[in-house]
Amino acid sequence: MSEQAVQEVALRVALERAIARKSDEYDQSARQYAYQLVGTKLDKTQVRGLETLASTTDKVSDITDWLKLRVGRDSGRERWAKEGIGRDLVNELEGLRNDAKKIVQGLSQVDPDLERQVHLRLCREFLKHLAAHFEYLKLER
Amino acid sequence: MSELEYLLKRKQSLASWSDRWQAKAARFADSYRDLLPRRITNAQLYGLGNVVRSAWRYGDIERFIRHQAEKAERAGRLDVQSYWNDLKDALGKLRSEAQTLLKTLPLPSGAGNREDLDELHRELAGLYVQHLIAHSLYWTPAQEESRKGEK
Repeated sequence: MSEQAVQEVALRVALERAIARKSDEYDQSARQYAYQLVGTKLDKTQVRGLETLASTTDKVSDITDWLKLRVGRDSGRERWAKEGIGRDLVNELEGLRNDAKKIVQGLSQVDPDLERQVHLRLCREFLKHLAAHFEYLKLER
Repeated sequence: MSELEYLLKRKQSLASWSDRWQAKAARFADSYRDLLPRRITNAQLYGLGNVVRSAWRYGDIERFIRHQAEKAERAGRLDVQSYWNDLKDALGKLRSEAQTLLKTLPLPSGAGNREDLDELHRELAGLYVQHLIAHSLYWTPAQEESRKGEK
């Protein structure tokens, strides 16, 4: 294996570790959002839909646009717009960019798109926890 | 660069561009927040979204927007006319963005032609409009609420 290949593997491992560590940190916060969401009229297909979108898209903006549209359409304020939950979630997901920035700064990496890609991965992790907690709490109720 | 490499690089470049430009499209929507959703209705925005999604050429999008501006002018709604004209300008300027992106994405067969440029311009316009519509609708319930509160 060449030196460059070894460096790439080491970088990939460091990146995965950093993302996994952050993912564990998000668990509690995602649980709080799930608590709030079970108090709305949302059902699991809608929350799972958001998780599926996050895991399949290559853009963070697709996730926040999806949420913005749902907040905007919820004129009865019973689902994504109830008590500002959707707006808080948009802000939360956009705020994960700071974590992505810190992770990338800790690596000797020159790919200018890496921060964005890590941000997307962090959004996926956060929403994965959120959807799992939501389904669990929904079942408990 | 192989065809597959090109397609992957193109997809990544567009994703990166879209994420970068979301804030700019949101600023455009914010600058016209007073017109939403009464003067510029949700139905008009959905109409724009449908045209952008189904357009084959960038010219189709521009024609729709020009038509909206003309309708607003005939109805004496100059603020609405100004919205559509400004949107036409904002989307028109994306052509230079498409040109810049094309330079970083050399086609496997050689230099990009006019059709590639138009296709990319149409795609960028589609991404911009997606952000614009999402952000425009996003603030509508809050705005309606505060209007009700003022009454």
